[in-house]
Order: sequence, then structure tokens, then C-alpha cells
Amino acid sequence: MESVKHINKRAVASMGILALLIVLSFFISLNMGYIRIAPIDVIKVFIGAGTEENQLVLFDFRLPRMVIALLIGAGLAVSGAILQGVAQNGLADPGILGINAGAGLAVVLFIFFVQGTSSGLGMLSIFVMPLAALAGGMLAASLIYALAWKKGVTPVRLILVGIGINAAFGAALIIFQLKMNPRDFMQATIWLSGSIWATNWKFVVAMLPWIIILIPYTFYKARYLNVLSLGDHTAVGLGAAVEKERRILLLTAVALAGSCVAMGGGIAFLGLVAPHLARRIVGPKHEMLLPSTALMGALLLLVSDTIARNILSPSEIPVGLVVSALGAPYFIYLLIKTN
Amino acid sequence: MNRKVKSAIILNLLLCVILLVSACSTSSNTSTASDNASTSETTETTQPTERILEDAMGNEVEIPANPQSIIASYLEDHLVALGVKPAAQWSIADGTSVQNYLQDSLNEIPTIPSDLPFEAVMSFSPDLILMDTAGMVEGDKYEQYSKIAPTYVVASDEDNDWRKKLLRIGEVLNKSDEAKEVLENYDLKAKEAKEQLEQEIGTKPVAILWVTAKSIYVPNVNLSSGAVLYGDLGLTAPQAIQEVSETGTANWNALSLEKLAEMEAEYVFIVNGKGVTKDELLQDPVWAGIPAVKNGRVYEYDKQASWLYTGAIANLQMIDNVMESILK
Amino acid sequence: MIKKASEMQQENSTTEEQKQERVASRPLVATLILFAGVAALFFGLGASISLGAANIDFKTVWEGIFQFNPDLTSHQIIQELRLPRALAASLVGACLAVSGAIMQGMTRNPLASPSIMGITAGSAFMVAIAFAYFPGTSHVGLMIWSFAGAGIAACIVFAIGILSKGGLTPVKLALAGTAVGALLSSFSSAIAIHYDVAQDISFWYAGGVAGVKWVSIQLLLPIAAFGLIMAFTIARSITVLSLGDDVAKGLGQRTAHVKVLGIIVVLLLTGAAVSVAGTVGFIGLVIPHITRFLVGMDYRWIIPCSSILGALILVLADLGARMINPPFETPVGAITAMIGVPFFLYLARRERRGL
Repeated sequence: MESVKHINKRAVASMGILALLIVLSFFISLNMGYIRIAPIDVIKVFIGAGTEENQLVLFDFRLPRMVIALLIGAGLAVSGAILQGVAQNGLADPGILGINAGAGLAVVLFIFFVQGTSSGLGMLSIFVMPLAALAGGMLAASLIYALAWKKGVTPVRLILVGIGINAAFGAALIIFQLKMNPRDFMQATIWLSGSIWATNWKFVVAMLPWIIILIPYTFYKARYLNVLSLGDHTAVGLGAAVEKERRILLLTAVALAGSCVAMGGGIAFLGLVAPHLARRIVGPKHEMLLPSTALMGALLLLVSDTIARNILSPSEIPVGLVVSALGAPYFIYLLIKTN
Repeated sequence: MNRKVKSAIILNLLLCVILLVSACSTSSNTSTASDNASTSETTETTQPTERILEDAMGNEVEIPANPQSIIASYLEDHLVALGVKPAAQWSIADGTSVQNYLQDSLNEIPTIPSDLPFEAVMSFSPDLILMDTAGMVEGDKYEQYSKIAPTYVVASDEDNDWRKKLLRIGEVLNKSDEAKEVLENYDLKAKEAKEQLEQEIGTKPVAILWVTAKSIYVPNVNLSSGAVLYGDLGLTAPQAIQEVSETGTANWNALSLEKLAEMEAEYVFIVNGKGVTKDELLQDPVWAGIPAVKNGRVYEYDKQASWLYTGAIANLQMIDNVMESILK
Repeated sequence: MIKKASEMQQENSTTEEQKQERVASRPLVATLILFAGVAALFFGLGASISLGAANIDFKTVWEGIFQFNPDLTSHQIIQELRLPRALAASLVGACLAVSGAIMQGMTRNPLASPSIMGITAGSAFMVAIAFAYFPGTSHVGLMIWSFAGAGIAACIVFAIGILSKGGLTPVKLALAGTAVGALLSSFSSAIAIHYDVAQDISFWYAGGVAGVKWVSIQLLLPIAAFGLIMAFTIARSITVLSLGDDVAKGLGQRTAHVKVLGIIVVLLLTGAAVSVAGTVGFIGLVIPHITRFLVGMDYRWIIPCSSILGALILVLADLGARMINPPFETPVGAITAMIGVPFFLYLARRERRGL
């Protein structure tokens, strides 16, 4: 008992540190950008005494994007953690369920056929593209689940079918992409690389319900994840309704990742790396793992997006590329170090 | 165990609440910011010449009376044609790559990245932003750009009709007469060139080939440089280019090399992006059967020339290129 | 996590070993495949040379090959476009299938294919650099860049495998390949987007064997021939290695030696294939499976049969690329995916066998 308590305390403390780091990077990120704003002016803006220009930069350009980054980061990371638990495979991430490929194909089709003709839909028109992405992601995920179904779904089969469907969507994607005019092609490429393109408060509002409902729900389901990640036989032995819980958790992961991909494009590696980093800090128990994964993902994406905005300033690079460039070396380091 | 779960849940609920609160408080601040902006705009409306125009997306845009600092990325051709200097010009790769063919007029204009980041746009303090297509403001970016300056979207999609664009921009910049004049002059010049070419080469087929490292592209006969040569100048397209245009919807479509070898073109314009010289290229036996190659009627232009662009200036330069090559 | 993955691997391999003891090789079937395959390949090559965007009747095709007259356009099309294209398709198909077979044999991972070595990503990285910083590099120049990129990526992956604590295990190699691939492709995407060359790069990779010239064949042929011969010579050792490291060591094999040779072969074959034809997926993954299903577990049969079947499939897929939507070319990678994905799904759904 004593040791359990100790670990628990340590985990909570690490989460506190993570939260502090988020706050810290939040303020650093707020201060960084092509238009230089001195920290003192930032504070002035927050107490309502800033110039109109600074207010515009901070509240309309930087803040909504940062908040979206935090939400997407948390969502993708938790989705990854769920999938790694459910698939009993440390290499699972939302991309494996075809969410990125499905959403990507939907967006490419949207840019190819629809773009520019949807302005008649009024308020709804700005959500057409994210909704298309969401629908595409969901479709791909259900296709994979259906094809992997054979008197139940085994993790290995899920992963294998995922690889196959991903390849099929990727092939369809390249056919359409190659027929595009150069600027549409570029728009599609940037989306596919993962870039936070939805950058205003309307999207924050649209995104928020998914995150604040689904993430706490997964915390509530944490103990089932603990059981499921022990493997099917153990799980059945412990009396878990394996298939039902697995389906619910998968659905949650898909909904989380789908909403994130709709707003942030095909960000790879985050759902893979964040749970690993969190696991190294707080251990494998999902009650602690899921919250710290959420914090870790939010932190990683915020930092990556700050880099993406500033490294080649004034032009920007897709944040997904920064995440891969940071995540892959860490992954390689893990590979070299672990036995 | 239970306490652990509880504390975790509480911590995260707290986090969510903090996020929620910060989001709400900032959004209320936003609305005051935009209120400020709109009041400052209303003071300007008292000026008599300010107009409200509807753009391609159906936005009502307040166009300032006499815009001084305009950002019109990738629309610079039209601005130059109308004698207007933009505040910044389209560029990629840290401003090292610009629209070369316009540099006679845009030489000293600073560059802006082609993806138009908000803060980069803002740093030029524009008083009017012209957007080429609706795709550039996808994701409700329109709202954010219009907080920097009135933003007018010129075309709803990848619209290749440069005449319409020029007229619209003329209307926005209060230069409709100038725009019409540009078109008249262009049509006059094209007509003269067309007559001369008709006498010189008649209906002999003329091909435009954009040569890259691995593939060869031909323009759709109704788009891009195809529209200039086959439309405005009335030249005849080879069979293969007509065939490709029937189904190829992009400005430029890849041509099968077998079709290239069979092409009956008497004149060939090469837009060279391949990295080999024209002579090396023509030594390739695949090219040897083309009549233009046999008769030495192959003319080469760099891909930095105006051939891959569209607009009054680009097209006039293309016509000059054609005339100097064929009537030489 | 790595521990878990390797556990999974071990689980798989034990069942595979049991299977290997049961399933002997089938030399008779294999010989049949070799003869029928070669015949079918000749037939495919003939079709590939006879059919295309330009309408050329069979008599002219025959004359174009055997009584070549450089003044005739149709003969030039046969000689300069269709012959090199058909030959390149068969060579690339053979290279990819054989390197896939070696990867799967060495790593004992049925999902191993050349792309997980990070080779394609490495080649794309260097091609992106060439497009961005040396615009106007010639076709042959780009092939060399691409081959160099493939080599660099494979070396990095290999070095990571050696440097890591547990030594050079197949799982490690696969994981390192994935990570290095992700890293390199993030760099190349950033370069492509920043310098606005993304579409050029995509066209280069989706191009398949469409624009192949004799000069490409001249570069491809010696590397491919050397690689294939090497593959045939190490086939026996690969069979032993596919029984597992411990078994192989017990049989007195110097496993590290074989692995290094195997990786060099994979690098040569895949690097050559990618630099000529861009990304052509699924051949390296699916063909070895089909071959193993037909001829059993002996790599002395698997490797030659894979090379014939791989060549055959790619020649047919390339023919499809031309004929599906004329006069446009469909990316050949999309066609191999159309063939490969259903088969792959079928394998994935089979209970614990095959995959």
C-alpha cells in the first residue's frame, strides 16, 4: 500500500509539472511571432490597456490557434493511448485506424470537387471541410472495423486490416491529387502534413465539446483499459465484457481523433509518442496514464506549433512535420536505449 | 485506488474549466476588439467615394475610397496592368522565388510568403486585401483577414478567366475604365498578331510543351497559355493536345510520350524546366519524328518566363514571344 | 512498448517455426512456376510492347524490333519508349519482389517490405533536396540522387540497429526503419512545401516506368543483375535464417554475416527500383507471400520464383496504367495497390496463417 501511495503522489506531482510547463510554454508562445510584441505589452493587452493592433494579433491570431493546438494535442494523445491499450501494441496510433487516410481522402475530394461552391450554405459553410474530414475518418475506421470483424475483432487483425485500408486510401488519394492544379495540390499537401488551419474562436467552440466530454469519459473507462491491455484471455478471465468495452473504447478513440484531424489535418506521431512519454513518467496504469498523456500531448503540440509558426518566419510550415521531426529522434533514442 | 481516480478526474475537470474560462474571456475581449475596428471603419464611411461591393463569396466588402496599401498575392499581374503597385508581392522560399516576368514593374516591392500568414499580412498595414480564390480563405480565415483590412475575394474557385478577374479588380480599385482599356488594347494586339500569324503559318499545328524532368505537359486549349495561343491567336492545336483537353481539366496535363513522338506539330514552343539544353533534348529520338524538330522550328522559353502564368501582362509577353519566334 | 512488440513477434515466430517443420518445399510446383512464369512474362512483354497510347499494328511492332528503321516514328516509339519501359517494368518488379522476400525471410516478419527500411523516404528526401536547391537536375542526375538517398537511409537504419542495446534484431530494424522514414519524410515534406516543389516530387514518384529511357536501363541493369545474383547465392542462408536466429546459430551459421549481405542486397535492389520507377507499393509485400504459398518455405525456390512473378505482375500493372484511362497514365502504384490490397485483406482475415 505504501508504495502504491508513493507512486500515486509522484504521478500527481509529474502532472502538476506538466501543467506548469504548459502554462509556461503558453506564455512563451504568446510572445513569439512575426510581429514583435514586448512581454509588457502582452500584459497590457490582457488587462485591457493594449493597442488595438496588439489586441488583434494576440486575441484573434495567436490565442485561438494556441487553444486549438492544446485541444488537438490532448485529443490525439488520448486517442493514441486508448488505441495502444486496446490493440495491446505500443506501435498503434490513430493513423492505424485509417482516420488520417480517410479524412485526407475526404479533404482531397473536397478541394478537388467542392471548394468554392459551398459559399451558399451561410454559417455552415465554414464547417463543410472539417465535417467532410470527420465523415471520411469515421468511414475509414468503420470500414476497417467491419473488415477486421470475424466473430469478434482481434488486435492483430485490426492492425493488419488497417495497414491494407490505409494503403488503398493512399492510392486513391494520389490519383486525385495528381490531377490537381498546383495551388490546390499545395493546399492539399499542407493539410495532409498536418497543419492547424482552423484558427479562430468559432472552431475552438466547435472543438471544445468533443474534448471536454470524451476525454473525461475515457478517464472513467480507464480501468477497462487496464484489463484490456493485459490481453483478451486475461480480460475475459477477469470478467470484462471484452468485445463491448473494446468497441466503446475504439469508438471514443475514433471520435476523438476524428474531431482532431478535422481541425488539425493529418498530424502523425503525436498519438504514438505522447502516450510513451507519459508512460515513462507515470507508469502503465491508465488512471494516471490517460490524464498525463492528455497533458503531454497538449504540451507537445503547443510547443511544436510555436516552432512551426516561427522557425521559417514569416512563412509557416505544417505543425505535423515539426511533431515528426521532434518525435522520431526520441523514438530512435528509445530504440537504442531499451533492450 | 478510488482516491487516485478521483483526484485525477478533479485535476482534469479543473484543467478543462480553466481552458473553458480562458476561451470565454478571450472571446469576449475579441468582440470588443472588433467593435473598436468597426467604429473606426464607420468614421471612414462618411467619405463620399467609399463603396460597398459584394465579392465572389457573397461578402459585403467596404472598399476604401483610395486604397494606398494593397495586398493582392498572385494577382499582381492585374495590378501591374492597371498601373497599381501592391504593398507586397507573392513569393515562395523566403522571398527568393517571385514571379520573374513581372519584375520590371515589381522590382522594389517587398515579398510576402504565398500562404499569407496573418501577422505577415498585418506587418504591411494594408488597407485593402484582394484574395485570388475562395480556397485561400478556407477555414473561416476570411473573418480574420477582414479584421486586418477589408478583404475582397476575387473568384469563387480556380477560375481561369483572367478577363473577368481584371474587370472585377478594376471595379474594386475604381479603375473600371482602365481595365476595359487594357482589355481593348490586348484584344487589338492579339487581333493584329492573329492576322499576321494567319498569313504566315495558316492552320499549321503549333504545340506548347512544358518539359520537366520526367514528364511533358501540354496546356488545355481553353486555359492558361493554351487559351492565348489557340484562342486569342487562333493557332491550330495538334491532335494530341486537343485530345488531352477533352478530358484533362487542369491547366496543364501530362502527355503520353508516345503521343509526343507522333505529334504532327510544325511549330513547337518549349517551356523548359528540365535542366538540359534544347539541343540535348532534340537529340532524343522520341522527338526526332516531330516535323517542327526536323525543320528547326522549336523555340525555347525558360519556365520563369510568363508561359506558366495568366493575365494581361503574361499573355502580352507570350504574344511577343510567339511573334518574335515565328516571324523572325 | 518495444518489449511488447517483440513478444508479439516471438509468439508469431513460434507458430511459424512449427509450420516450417510441417511444410516442406515443393520443387515440382516451383519448377512449373519458373517455366510457366517465364512464358507468361514473355507474353506480357509482347503485349506491353504492342499496346499503348499510339496505335501500332502488330506487323509494325515486329518490324520495329527486328528491322528497325530510325526514320519511322512508329519504330522509334517501339524502340525508344515501349521496349525500355517493358524491360524496366520487369526488372523493377523482380527487384522489389526479391528484396521483399529477403526482408521477410531475414526478419521473419511477414509484414516486412522494402519500404519499412526507410529506403523510399530516404530517396524522396534527396530528390526533394535536388528539386529545391538544384532545380533543373536531369533525369539521370535525379536517379543518382535518389539512389544515394536510399543508401544513406539504409545506413542510418542499420547503424541504429547495431548501436542499440539488444543488438541487431529484426524488430529493431523494422522499428528503426519506420522512425527514420518518418523523420526523413517530414524533412522532405517541409522542403517540398517551403520551396513549392511538392507536386514535382509527387509526379516523379507516381511516374512509374512511363518515361524510362535506355540510359536508365543501362544504370539499372548492372545493379539489378548483381543484386539478383547475390540474392540467389545467399538464398540457402536466408532459408536457415528464416528458422530463427538461434536455430541458425545452432546450425553453425554466421548470422551477422548473412544479415549484412542480405541488407546490402535489399538496398541495392530497392534503391535501384525506387530511383527508376518511384514508389510502387505492394509488390515487395504481396509477391513473396503468394510465392511462399505456392512453393513452400525454401528460399532457394522462393527467390527465383518471386523474381519471375514480380516481373510479371509489374509488367501487367504497367500495361493497365496505360490502358485504363487513355491517353492519360494512371499511377502504376495505384494499380498495384488495387491488386495488392484485396489480397492483403484476405491474408489478414485468415486465421493466424500466412501473416
